[in-house]
Amino acid sequence: MSDLDRQIEQLKKCEPLKESEVKALCLKAMEILVEESNVQRVDAPVTICGDIHGQFYDMKELFKVGGDCPKTNYLFLGDFVDRGFYSVETFLLLLALKVRYPDRITLIRGNHESRQITQVYGFYDECLRKYGSVNVWRYCTDIFDYLSLSALIENRIFSVHGGLSPAISTLDQIRTIDRKQEVPHDGAMCDLLWSDPEDIVDGWGLSPRGAGFLFGGSVVTSFNHSNNIDYICRAHQLVMEGYKWMFNNQIVTVWSAPNYCYRCGNVAAILELDENLDKQFRVFDAAPQESRGAPAKKPAPDYFL
Amino acid sequence: MEVEVNDNDLKAAGAELLSAGRRGLRINGWEVESRKCSILNSSTVQLWEQKLETSHLPEMEALPPVEVPAAAKWKFRSKPSQQVILDYDYTFTTPYCGSETIEMSENKHEIGDISDGTYNLQWENCNEKIDVAALESKEPILFYDEVVLFEDELADNGVSLLTVKVRVMPSCWFLLLRFWLRVDGVLMRLRDTRMQCIFGDNTNPIILRESCWREETFQALSAKGYPSDSAAYNDPGVISQRLPIIKHKTQKLKVPSNL
Repeated sequence: MSDLDRQIEQLKKCEPLKESEVKALCLKAMEILVEESNVQRVDAPVTICGDIHGQFYDMKELFKVGGDCPKTNYLFLGDFVDRGFYSVETFLLLLALKVRYPDRITLIRGNHESRQITQVYGFYDECLRKYGSVNVWRYCTDIFDYLSLSALIENRIFSVHGGLSPAISTLDQIRTIDRKQEVPHDGAMCDLLWSDPEDIVDGWGLSPRGAGFLFGGSVVTSFNHSNNIDYICRAHQLVMEGYKWMFNNQIVTVWSAPNYCYRCGNVAAILELDENLDKQFRVFDAAPQESRGAPAKKPAPDYFL
Repeated sequence: MEVEVNDNDLKAAGAELLSAGRRGLRINGWEVESRKCSILNSSTVQLWEQKLETSHLPEMEALPPVEVPAAAKWKFRSKPSQQVILDYDYTFTTPYCGSETIEMSENKHEIGDISDGTYNLQWENCNEKIDVAALESKEPILFYDEVVLFEDELADNGVSLLTVKVRVMPSCWFLLLRFWLRVDGVLMRLRDTRMQCIFGDNTNPIILRESCWREETFQALSAKGYPSDSAAYNDPGVISQRLPIIKHKTQKLKVPSNL
Protein backbone atom coordinates (compact mmCIF):
# COMPACT_ATOMS: atom_id res chain seq x y z
CA MET A 1 0.00 0.00 0.00
CA SER A 2 1.42 3.39 -0.94
CA ASP A 3 1.87 6.16 1.62
CA LEU A 4 -0.96 8.04 -0.02
CA ASP A 5 -3.37 5.11 0.16
CA ARG A 6 -2.45 4.62 3.81
CA GLN A 7 -3.06 8.32 4.47
CA ILE A 8 -6.46 8.11 2.79
CA GLU A 9 -7.41 5.14 4.98
CA GLN A 10 -6.26 7.05 8.04
CA LEU A 11 -8.21 10.16 7.09
CA LYS A 12 -11.31 8.08 6.44
CA LYS A 13 -11.17 7.17 10.13
CA CYS A 14 -11.09 10.89 10.89
CA GLU A 15 -7.49 10.75 12.09
CA PRO A 16 -5.46 13.76 10.99
CA LEU A 17 -2.10 13.41 9.25
CA LYS A 18 1.24 14.45 10.68
CA GLU A 19 2.35 18.00 9.92
CA SER A 20 5.15 16.76 7.63
CA GLU A 21 2.66 14.61 5.72
CA VAL A 22 0.32 17.57 5.27
CA LYS A 23 3.18 19.62 3.88
CA ALA A 24 4.08 16.91 1.36
CA LEU A 25 0.45 16.36 0.39
CA CYS A 26 -0.09 20.06 -0.22
CA LEU A 27 2.99 20.26 -2.44
CA LYS A 28 1.69 17.41 -4.60
CA ALA A 29 -1.80 18.92 -4.72
CA MET A 30 -0.35 22.24 -5.81
CA GLU A 31 1.29 20.64 -8.83
CA ILE A 32 -2.07 19.24 -9.92
CA LEU A 33 -4.24 22.26 -9.15
CA VAL A 34 -1.95 24.77 -10.82
CA GLU A 35 -2.66 23.07 -14.15
CA GLU A 36 -6.44 23.40 -13.79
CA SER A 37 -8.41 26.08 -15.55
CA ASN A 38 -10.50 28.73 -13.78
CA VAL A 39 -13.39 27.03 -15.55
CA GLN A 40 -12.39 23.43 -15.04
CA ARG A 41 -13.88 20.96 -17.55
CA VAL A 42 -15.73 18.08 -15.95
CA ASP A 43 -17.13 14.99 -17.70
CA ALA A 44 -20.42 13.30 -16.88
CA PRO A 45 -21.43 11.18 -15.08
CA VAL A 46 -20.63 13.32 -12.07
CA THR A 47 -22.05 13.92 -8.61
CA ILE A 48 -22.17 17.55 -7.46
CA CYS A 49 -21.84 18.43 -3.77
CA GLY A 50 -22.36 21.73 -1.98
CA ASP A 51 -21.02 23.08 1.32
CA ILE A 52 -19.52 20.57 3.79
CA HIS A 53 -18.14 22.92 6.50
CA GLY A 54 -16.02 20.46 8.42
CA GLN A 55 -18.88 18.09 9.17
CA PHE A 56 -16.68 15.06 8.57
CA TYR A 57 -19.09 12.35 9.69
CA ASP A 58 -21.84 13.84 7.57
CA MET A 59 -19.49 13.81 4.58
CA LYS A 60 -19.03 10.09 5.22
CA GLU A 61 -22.82 9.80 4.95
CA LEU A 62 -22.53 11.68 1.66
CA PHE A 63 -20.07 9.10 0.33
CA LYS A 64 -22.35 6.31 1.54
CA VAL A 65 -25.21 7.80 -0.46
CA GLY A 66 -23.19 8.86 -3.51
CA GLY A 67 -20.63 6.04 -3.61
CA ASP A 68 -16.88 6.08 -2.98
CA CYS A 69 -14.36 8.05 -5.00
CA PRO A 70 -12.97 6.99 -7.53
CA LYS A 71 -15.94 4.79 -8.43
CA THR A 72 -18.10 7.91 -8.41
CA ASN A 73 -16.79 11.03 -10.11
CA TYR A 74 -17.24 14.03 -7.75
CA LEU A 75 -17.43 17.79 -8.05
CA PHE A 76 -17.31 19.69 -4.74
CA LEU A 77 -18.39 23.33 -4.87
CA GLY A 78 -16.25 24.63 -1.99
CA ASP A 79 -16.71 25.58 1.67
CA PHE A 80 -14.98 22.45 2.92
CA VAL A 81 -13.86 24.11 6.14
CA ASP A 82 -15.08 26.25 9.10
CA ARG A 83 -17.99 25.87 11.54
CA GLY A 84 -17.91 22.06 11.91
CA PHE A 85 -15.57 20.21 14.29
CA TYR A 86 -13.43 18.43 11.67
CA SER A 87 -12.34 20.93 9.02
CA VAL A 88 -8.78 19.54 9.07
CA GLU A 89 -9.77 15.93 8.42
CA THR A 90 -12.48 16.92 5.92
CA PHE A 91 -10.24 19.08 3.76
CA LEU A 92 -7.25 16.74 3.93
CA LEU A 93 -9.34 13.73 2.92
CA LEU A 94 -10.71 15.60 -0.10
CA LEU A 95 -7.24 16.84 -0.98
CA ALA A 96 -5.71 13.37 -0.63
CA LEU A 97 -8.41 11.97 -2.91
CA LYS A 98 -7.65 14.75 -5.39
CA VAL A 99 -3.96 13.84 -5.42
CA ARG A 100 -4.71 10.12 -5.69
CA TYR A 101 -7.48 10.36 -8.31
CA PRO A 102 -7.06 13.77 -9.99
CA ASP A 103 -9.53 12.98 -12.79
CA ARG A 104 -12.24 11.60 -10.48
CA ILE A 105 -12.68 14.49 -8.10
CA THR A 106 -12.83 18.23 -8.75
CA LEU A 107 -12.58 20.75 -5.92
CA ILE A 108 -13.46 24.36 -6.55
CA ARG A 109 -13.05 27.28 -4.17
CA GLY A 110 -15.70 28.55 -1.77
CA ASN A 111 -15.66 31.85 0.09
CA HIS A 112 -14.49 30.03 3.23
CA GLU A 113 -11.34 28.86 1.48
CA SER A 114 -9.69 32.10 2.51
CA ARG A 115 -7.12 33.17 5.10
CA GLN A 116 -9.29 35.94 6.45
CA ILE A 117 -12.53 33.99 6.81
CA THR A 118 -10.94 30.88 8.35
CA GLN A 119 -9.42 33.00 11.10
CA VAL A 120 -12.86 34.00 12.26
CA TYR A 121 -14.97 30.90 11.61
CA GLY A 122 -13.02 28.02 13.08
CA PHE A 123 -10.45 26.43 10.74
CA TYR A 124 -7.54 28.47 12.07
CA ASP A 125 -8.38 27.66 15.69
CA GLU A 126 -8.89 24.00 14.86
CA CYS A 127 -5.42 23.75 13.23
CA LEU A 128 -3.85 25.49 16.19
CA ARG A 129 -5.63 23.14 18.61
CA LYS A 130 -4.85 19.94 16.73
CA TYR A 131 -1.24 20.71 15.76
CA GLY A 132 -0.08 23.24 18.34
CA SER A 133 1.04 25.58 15.56
CA VAL A 134 -0.46 27.32 12.58
CA ASN A 135 1.78 25.63 10.00
CA VAL A 136 -0.95 23.28 8.78
CA TRP A 137 -3.30 26.24 8.43
CA ARG A 138 -0.62 27.97 6.32
CA TYR A 139 -0.10 24.94 4.04
CA CYS A 140 -3.85 24.57 3.53
CA THR A 141 -4.60 28.23 2.93
CA ASP A 142 -1.73 28.36 0.43
CA ILE A 143 -3.43 25.49 -1.41
CA PHE A 144 -6.75 27.38 -1.33
CA ASP A 145 -5.19 29.97 -3.66
CA TYR A 146 -4.72 27.27 -6.29
CA LEU A 147 -8.27 25.90 -6.25
CA SER A 148 -10.22 26.48 -9.43
CA LEU A 149 -13.05 29.03 -9.38
CA SER A 150 -15.71 27.16 -11.34
CA ALA A 151 -16.45 24.06 -13.39
CA LEU A 152 -18.20 23.35 -16.66
CA ILE A 153 -19.88 19.97 -17.02
CA GLU A 154 -20.03 18.70 -20.61
CA ASN A 155 -20.17 22.34 -21.76
CA ARG A 156 -23.76 22.49 -20.53
CA ILE A 157 -23.84 23.03 -16.78
CA PHE A 158 -21.89 25.84 -15.16
CA SER A 159 -20.92 25.25 -11.51
CA VAL A 160 -19.65 27.84 -9.07
CA HIS A 161 -19.73 28.33 -5.31
CA GLY A 162 -21.65 31.61 -5.03
CA GLY A 163 -22.98 32.96 -8.29
CA LEU A 164 -22.56 35.46 -11.08
CA SER A 165 -20.78 38.80 -11.29
CA PRO A 166 -21.74 42.02 -13.09
CA ALA A 167 -18.15 42.07 -14.33
CA ILE A 168 -18.57 38.71 -16.04
CA SER A 169 -20.76 37.94 -19.00
CA THR A 170 -18.77 35.16 -20.67
CA LEU A 171 -16.90 32.11 -19.44
CA ASP A 172 -13.81 33.40 -21.23
CA GLN A 173 -13.79 36.39 -18.89
CA ILE A 174 -13.56 33.99 -15.96
CA ARG A 175 -10.71 32.17 -17.69
CA THR A 176 -8.61 35.33 -17.70
CA ILE A 177 -8.79 35.95 -13.93
CA ASP A 178 -5.49 35.53 -12.10
CA ARG A 179 -6.88 33.34 -9.33
CA LYS A 180 -3.72 32.55 -7.39
CA GLN A 181 -4.35 34.97 -4.56
CA GLU A 182 -6.36 35.47 -1.39
CA VAL A 183 -10.06 36.03 -2.19
CA PRO A 184 -10.28 39.79 -2.86
CA HIS A 185 -12.89 42.04 -1.20
CA ASP A 186 -14.44 42.97 -4.51
CA GLY A 187 -14.22 42.24 -8.21
CA ALA A 188 -15.17 39.28 -10.37
CA MET A 189 -13.35 36.64 -8.34
CA CYS A 190 -15.00 37.83 -5.14
CA ASP A 191 -18.46 37.81 -6.76
CA LEU A 192 -18.17 34.25 -8.07
CA LEU A 193 -17.56 33.07 -4.52
CA TRP A 194 -19.96 35.36 -2.69
CA SER A 195 -23.00 36.45 -4.70
CA ASP A 196 -26.54 35.10 -4.29
CA PRO A 197 -29.59 34.74 -6.53
CA GLU A 198 -32.54 36.73 -5.17
CA ASP A 199 -36.18 36.40 -6.14
CA ILE A 200 -37.21 39.98 -5.57
CA VAL A 201 -34.32 41.54 -7.47
CA ASP A 202 -34.61 42.30 -11.13
CA GLY A 203 -31.18 42.56 -12.69
CA TRP A 204 -28.46 43.35 -10.18
CA GLY A 205 -28.93 44.36 -6.56
CA LEU A 206 -26.59 45.27 -3.78
CA SER A 207 -27.00 43.56 -0.45
CA PRO A 208 -28.22 45.78 2.42
CA ARG A 209 -24.85 45.10 4.05
CA GLY A 210 -23.41 47.45 1.45
CA ALA A 211 -21.25 44.74 -0.13
CA GLY A 212 -22.11 41.59 -2.05
CA PHE A 213 -24.17 41.33 -5.19
CA LEU A 214 -27.62 39.82 -5.63
CA PHE A 215 -28.77 38.76 -9.05
CA GLY A 216 -32.24 38.19 -10.43
CA GLY A 217 -33.75 35.87 -13.00
CA SER A 218 -33.05 38.06 -16.04
CA VAL A 219 -29.31 38.04 -15.27
CA VAL A 220 -29.31 34.24 -15.15
CA THR A 221 -31.34 33.97 -18.35
CA SER A 222 -28.96 36.15 -20.29
CA PHE A 223 -25.82 34.48 -18.84
CA ASN A 224 -27.12 30.99 -19.65
CA HIS A 225 -28.12 32.08 -23.12
CA SER A 226 -24.90 33.81 -24.09
CA ASN A 227 -22.79 30.93 -22.77
CA ASN A 228 -25.04 28.29 -24.22
CA ILE A 229 -25.57 26.45 -20.96
CA ASP A 230 -28.63 24.66 -19.59
CA TYR A 231 -28.45 25.84 -16.01
CA ILE A 232 -26.16 26.97 -13.20
CA CYS A 233 -25.43 24.78 -10.20
CA ARG A 234 -24.20 26.60 -7.08
CA ALA A 235 -23.99 26.16 -3.29
CA HIS A 236 -23.28 28.85 -0.64
CA GLN A 237 -26.74 29.18 0.91
CA LEU A 238 -28.39 26.85 3.40
CA VAL A 239 -31.54 25.28 1.99
CA MET A 240 -33.75 23.34 4.37
CA GLU A 241 -34.67 20.76 1.74
CA GLY A 242 -31.07 20.23 0.55
CA TYR A 243 -31.62 21.76 -2.90
CA LYS A 244 -33.67 24.52 -4.42
CA TRP A 245 -34.43 25.55 -8.00
CA MET A 246 -34.96 29.20 -8.87
CA PHE A 247 -35.95 31.25 -11.89
CA ASN A 248 -37.72 28.46 -13.82
CA ASN A 249 -35.03 25.85 -13.31
CA GLN A 250 -32.26 28.11 -14.57
CA ILE A 251 -30.23 27.86 -11.36
CA VAL A 252 -30.13 25.33 -8.56
CA THR A 253 -28.65 25.58 -5.08
CA VAL A 254 -27.20 22.36 -3.65
CA TRP A 255 -26.45 22.18 0.07
CA SER A 256 -24.57 19.17 1.47
CA ALA A 257 -24.19 19.87 5.19
CA PRO A 258 -27.09 18.12 6.98
CA ASN A 259 -28.12 19.52 10.37
CA TYR A 260 -25.85 22.48 9.63
CA CYS A 261 -23.75 23.62 12.61
CA TYR A 262 -25.18 20.53 14.37
CA ARG A 263 -28.40 22.37 15.17
CA CYS A 264 -30.32 23.58 12.09
CA GLY A 265 -32.23 20.33 11.55
CA ASN A 266 -32.02 20.56 7.74
CA VAL A 267 -31.49 17.69 5.32
CA ALA A 268 -28.68 17.75 2.73
CA ALA A 269 -28.54 16.85 -0.94
CA ILE A 270 -26.18 15.94 -3.74
CA LEU A 271 -26.98 16.13 -7.42
CA GLU A 272 -26.18 13.07 -9.53
CA LEU A 273 -25.87 13.57 -13.28
CA ASP A 274 -25.66 10.47 -15.43
CA GLU A 275 -23.90 10.21 -18.80
CA ASN A 276 -26.92 11.86 -20.47
CA LEU A 277 -26.95 14.61 -17.82
CA ASP A 278 -30.22 13.29 -16.43
CA LYS A 279 -30.60 14.62 -12.92
CA GLN A 280 -31.25 12.86 -9.67
CA PHE A 281 -31.09 14.59 -6.32
CA ARG A 282 -30.10 12.34 -3.45
CA VAL A 283 -31.25 13.71 -0.12
CA PHE A 284 -29.60 12.54 3.10
CA ASP A 285 -29.66 13.12 6.85
CA ALA A 286 -26.90 13.81 9.34
CA ALA A 287 -24.83 10.87 10.58
CA PRO A 288 -26.41 9.17 13.58
CA GLN A 289 -24.97 10.38 16.87
CA GLU A 290 -23.40 7.01 17.75
CA SER A 291 -21.34 6.88 14.55
CA ARG A 292 -19.70 10.21 15.18
CA GLY A 293 -16.76 8.87 17.15
CA ALA A 294 -16.31 11.86 19.36
CA PRO A 295 -18.94 12.22 22.09
CA ALA A 296 -21.74 14.68 21.55
CA LYS A 297 -21.07 18.13 22.88
CA LYS A 298 -22.56 18.06 26.37
CA PRO A 299 -21.85 21.29 28.17
CA ALA A 300 -21.99 21.20 31.93
CA PRO A 301 -24.75 23.25 33.54
CA ASP A 302 -23.52 26.74 33.24
CA TYR A 303 -23.81 29.17 36.15
CA PHE A 304 -24.43 32.00 33.71
CA LEU A 305 -25.22 35.44 35.10
CA MET B 1 -28.37 19.92 25.67
CA GLU B 2 -29.20 17.23 28.19
CA VAL B 3 -27.67 17.82 31.58
CA GLU B 4 -27.21 15.25 34.29
CA VAL B 5 -29.37 16.17 37.24
CA ASN B 6 -29.05 14.48 40.58
CA ASP B 7 -32.33 12.81 41.63
CA ASN B 8 -31.62 13.56 45.28
CA ASP B 9 -31.26 17.27 44.51
CA LEU B 10 -34.62 17.24 42.76
CA LYS B 11 -36.29 15.38 45.61
CA ALA B 12 -34.79 17.65 48.27
CA ALA B 13 -36.10 20.70 46.41
CA GLY B 14 -39.55 19.17 45.98
CA ALA B 15 -39.18 19.33 42.20
CA GLU B 16 -40.24 16.82 39.58
CA LEU B 17 -39.16 16.56 35.96
CA LEU B 18 -41.80 16.86 33.27
CA SER B 19 -42.75 13.59 31.66
CA ALA B 20 -43.71 12.41 28.18
CA GLY B 21 -40.58 13.66 26.46
CA ARG B 22 -41.04 17.24 27.62
CA ARG B 23 -37.98 19.10 28.86
CA GLY B 24 -38.42 20.93 32.11
CA LEU B 25 -39.63 20.58 35.65
CA ARG B 26 -42.22 21.58 38.24
CA ILE B 27 -41.06 23.35 41.36
CA ASN B 28 -42.83 25.52 43.97
CA GLY B 29 -45.92 25.91 41.82
CA TRP B 30 -43.88 26.80 38.72
CA GLU B 31 -43.67 24.80 35.56
CA VAL B 32 -40.56 25.52 33.53
CA GLU B 33 -40.35 24.03 30.07
CA SER B 34 -38.10 24.48 27.03
CA ARG B 35 -38.96 23.43 23.50
CA LYS B 36 -36.76 23.16 20.43
CA CYS B 37 -37.68 22.58 16.83
CA SER B 38 -35.71 22.62 13.59
CA ILE B 39 -35.45 25.80 11.53
CA LEU B 40 -38.36 26.65 9.23
CA ASN B 41 -38.56 24.98 5.85
CA SER B 42 -38.89 27.01 2.65
CA SER B 43 -42.68 27.08 2.57
CA THR B 44 -43.07 28.09 6.22
CA VAL B 45 -40.42 30.76 5.76
CA GLN B 46 -42.49 32.17 2.91
CA LEU B 47 -45.61 32.03 5.04
CA TRP B 48 -43.96 33.94 7.89
CA GLU B 49 -42.40 36.48 5.56
CA GLN B 50 -45.86 37.27 4.25
CA LYS B 51 -47.32 37.35 7.73
CA LEU B 52 -44.61 39.69 8.98
CA GLU B 53 -44.49 41.69 5.77
CA THR B 54 -40.77 41.37 5.31
CA SER B 55 -38.66 40.00 2.50
CA HIS B 56 -36.24 38.49 4.98
CA LEU B 57 -36.78 36.81 8.31
CA PRO B 58 -36.30 37.57 11.11
CA GLU B 59 -38.24 40.81 11.43
CA MET B 60 -36.69 43.78 13.13
CA GLU B 61 -37.09 47.43 14.10
CA ALA B 62 -35.81 50.36 12.07
CA LEU B 63 -32.30 51.47 12.90
CA PRO B 64 -29.69 53.59 11.20
CA PRO B 65 -28.15 51.35 8.56
CA VAL B 66 -24.92 49.61 9.46
CA GLU B 67 -22.57 48.97 6.59
CA VAL B 68 -19.79 46.44 6.41
CA PRO B 69 -16.26 47.80 5.86
CA ALA B 70 -16.18 46.84 2.19
CA ALA B 71 -19.29 48.93 1.51
CA ALA B 72 -17.51 52.16 0.63
CA LYS B 73 -15.54 50.44 -2.10
CA TRP B 74 -18.66 48.73 -3.36
CA LYS B 75 -20.62 51.94 -3.68
CA PHE B 76 -17.93 53.33 -5.87
CA ARG B 77 -18.11 50.20 -7.94
CA SER B 78 -21.85 49.87 -8.35
CA LYS B 79 -23.62 51.60 -11.16
CA PRO B 80 -26.61 53.81 -10.38
CA SER B 81 -28.90 51.03 -11.58
CA GLN B 82 -27.53 48.80 -8.88
CA GLN B 83 -29.25 50.31 -5.94
CA VAL B 84 -29.68 48.73 -2.56
CA ILE B 85 -33.03 47.19 -3.18
CA LEU B 86 -33.49 45.17 -0.04
CA ASP B 87 -34.37 47.61 2.71
CA TYR B 88 -34.56 45.25 5.65
CA ASP B 89 -32.21 45.61 8.62
CA TYR B 90 -29.81 42.78 7.91
CA THR B 91 -28.46 42.99 11.47
CA PHE B 92 -31.81 41.75 12.79
CA THR B 93 -31.47 43.97 15.85
CA THR B 94 -34.45 43.47 18.13
CA PRO B 95 -35.77 45.16 21.26
CA TYR B 96 -37.57 41.92 22.19
CA CYS B 97 -37.38 41.17 25.89
CA GLY B 98 -39.80 38.30 26.27
CA SER B 99 -43.54 37.90 25.97
CA GLU B 100 -46.09 37.18 28.64
CA THR B 101 -49.49 35.66 28.16
CA ILE B 102 -52.20 34.57 30.50
CA GLU B 103 -53.61 31.13 30.05
CA MET B 104 -57.03 30.86 31.62
CA SER B 105 -58.18 27.71 33.27
CA GLU B 106 -61.61 26.56 32.07
CA ASN B 107 -63.46 27.92 35.14
CA LYS B 108 -61.98 31.37 35.08
CA HIS B 109 -62.66 31.61 31.40
CA GLU B 110 -66.38 31.39 32.10
CA ILE B 111 -66.40 33.81 35.01
CA GLY B 112 -63.98 36.53 33.95
CA ASP B 113 -64.16 38.76 30.95
CA ILE B 114 -60.75 38.79 29.31
CA SER B 115 -61.60 41.47 26.82
CA ASP B 116 -61.98 44.22 29.43
CA GLY B 117 -58.23 44.20 30.06
CA THR B 118 -58.53 43.24 33.71
CA TYR B 119 -56.01 40.52 33.19
CA ASN B 120 -53.23 42.50 31.56
CA LEU B 121 -49.77 41.76 32.84
CA GLN B 122 -47.64 44.84 33.16
CA TRP B 123 -44.02 45.61 33.85
CA GLU B 124 -43.38 48.52 36.24
CA ASN B 125 -40.07 50.22 36.81
CA CYS B 126 -38.69 49.40 40.24
CA ASN B 127 -35.68 49.88 42.50
CA GLU B 128 -35.21 46.27 43.44
CA LYS B 129 -32.30 44.51 41.85
CA ILE B 130 -31.75 40.99 40.65
CA ASP B 131 -30.11 39.05 43.48
CA VAL B 132 -26.71 38.31 42.00
CA ALA B 133 -25.35 36.83 45.24
CA ALA B 134 -28.06 34.16 45.14
CA LEU B 135 -27.08 33.38 41.56
CA GLU B 136 -23.40 33.17 42.39
CA SER B 137 -23.92 30.60 45.15
CA LYS B 138 -23.23 27.22 43.62
CA GLU B 139 -26.46 25.54 44.65
CA PRO B 140 -27.35 22.61 42.41
CA ILE B 141 -28.86 23.36 39.02
CA LEU B 142 -32.05 21.30 38.70
CA PHE B 143 -32.83 22.30 35.14
CA TYR B 144 -30.73 24.02 32.50
CA ASP B 145 -31.24 24.67 28.84
CA GLU B 146 -30.28 27.03 26.07
CA VAL B 147 -32.44 27.72 23.02
CA VAL B 148 -31.35 29.63 19.92
CA LEU B 149 -34.31 31.76 18.83
CA PHE B 150 -32.68 33.08 15.68
CA GLU B 151 -29.26 33.27 14.19
CA ASP B 152 -27.75 34.85 11.12
CA GLU B 153 -24.17 34.76 9.92
CA LEU B 154 -24.54 38.09 8.11
CA ALA B 155 -23.08 36.32 5.07
CA ASP B 156 -19.84 35.86 7.00
CA ASN B 157 -19.66 39.47 8.07
CA GLY B 158 -20.21 38.68 11.73
CA VAL B 159 -23.08 37.28 13.73
CA SER B 160 -26.59 38.16 14.81
CA LEU B 161 -27.88 35.83 17.47
CA LEU B 162 -30.84 35.75 19.84
CA THR B 163 -30.64 33.05 22.50
CA VAL B 164 -32.31 32.31 25.79
CA LYS B 165 -30.70 30.39 28.64
CA VAL B 166 -32.57 29.17 31.68
CA ARG B 167 -31.50 27.59 34.94
CA VAL B 168 -33.61 26.52 37.87
CA MET B 169 -32.12 26.08 41.35
CA PRO B 170 -33.78 25.08 44.64
CA SER B 171 -34.09 28.77 45.59
CA CYS B 172 -34.97 30.53 42.32
CA TRP B 173 -35.24 30.44 38.56
CA PHE B 174 -33.19 32.68 36.33
CA LEU B 175 -33.14 33.32 32.62
CA LEU B 176 -31.02 35.33 30.26
CA LEU B 177 -32.32 36.43 26.88
CA ARG B 178 -29.38 37.75 24.87
CA PHE B 179 -29.24 39.53 21.54
CA TRP B 180 -25.66 39.57 20.28
CA LEU B 181 -24.57 41.38 17.16
CA ARG B 182 -21.10 41.68 15.78
CA VAL B 183 -20.62 43.34 12.42
CA ASP B 184 -16.96 42.61 11.78
CA GLY B 185 -14.83 45.74 11.78
CA VAL B 186 -17.83 47.95 12.51
CA LEU B 187 -19.71 47.48 15.77
CA MET B 188 -21.04 45.20 18.46
CA ARG B 189 -24.39 45.28 20.21
CA LEU B 190 -25.35 43.32 23.26
CA ARG B 191 -28.90 43.47 24.57
CA ASP B 192 -29.38 41.36 27.67
CA THR B 193 -32.65 40.73 29.44
CA ARG B 194 -32.36 38.91 32.75
CA MET B 195 -35.33 37.59 34.67
CA GLN B 196 -35.34 36.13 38.13
CA CYS B 197 -37.88 34.85 40.60
CA ILE B 198 -36.81 33.87 44.10
CA PHE B 199 -39.13 31.21 45.45
CA GLY B 200 -41.05 32.25 48.51
CA ASP B 201 -44.54 33.66 48.48
CA ASN B 202 -46.34 31.41 46.03
CA THR B 203 -49.43 33.59 45.80
CA ASN B 204 -47.56 36.83 45.07
CA PRO B 205 -44.33 35.86 43.40
CA ILE B 206 -41.89 38.68 42.67
CA ILE B 207 -40.54 38.51 39.15
CA LEU B 208 -37.81 40.97 38.27
CA ARG B 209 -36.63 41.84 34.80
CA GLU B 210 -33.46 43.76 34.09
CA SER B 211 -32.57 45.01 30.63
CA CYS B 212 -29.10 46.13 29.80
CA TRP B 213 -28.13 47.38 26.35
CA ARG B 214 -24.49 47.79 25.44
CA GLU B 215 -22.94 48.99 22.20
CA GLU B 216 -19.55 50.02 20.89
CA THR B 217 -17.79 50.45 17.57
CA PHE B 218 -14.59 48.59 16.72
CA GLN B 219 -13.00 51.96 16.12
CA ALA B 220 -13.75 53.14 19.67
CA LEU B 221 -12.51 49.87 21.15
CA SER B 222 -9.31 50.16 19.22
CA ALA B 223 -8.87 53.74 20.44
CA LYS B 224 -9.14 52.44 24.00
CA GLY B 225 -6.35 49.97 23.32
CA TYR B 226 -8.53 46.88 23.03
CA PRO B 227 -7.98 44.44 20.18
CA SER B 228 -9.98 45.24 17.07
CA ASP B 229 -9.91 41.88 15.31
CA SER B 230 -13.19 39.99 15.30
CA ALA B 231 -11.61 36.77 16.56
CA ALA B 232 -11.20 38.49 19.96
CA TYR B 233 -14.96 38.97 20.17
CA ASN B 234 -16.44 35.53 19.79
CA ASP B 235 -17.85 35.26 23.29
CA PRO B 236 -20.05 38.15 24.40
CA GLY B 237 -19.98 36.87 27.99
CA VAL B 238 -16.24 37.48 28.19
CA ILE B 239 -16.04 40.91 26.61
CA SER B 240 -19.35 42.49 27.65
CA GLN B 241 -17.64 44.78 30.18
CA ARG B 242 -15.75 46.48 27.37
CA LEU B 243 -18.97 47.64 25.78
CA PRO B 244 -20.40 50.74 27.45
CA ILE B 245 -23.98 50.61 28.72
CA ILE B 246 -26.36 52.74 26.68
CA LYS B 247 -29.60 51.75 28.37
CA HIS B 248 -30.46 50.03 31.62
CA LYS B 249 -33.64 49.44 33.60
CA THR B 250 -35.13 47.06 36.14
CA GLN B 251 -38.81 46.22 36.22
CA LYS B 252 -41.17 44.16 38.27
CA LEU B 253 -44.04 42.14 36.87
CA LYS B 254 -47.39 43.37 38.07
CA VAL B 255 -49.81 40.48 38.24
CA PRO B 256 -53.47 41.54 38.52
CA SER B 257 -54.76 40.60 41.96
CA ASN B 258 -57.89 38.94 40.63
CA LEU B 259 -55.90 36.21 38.89
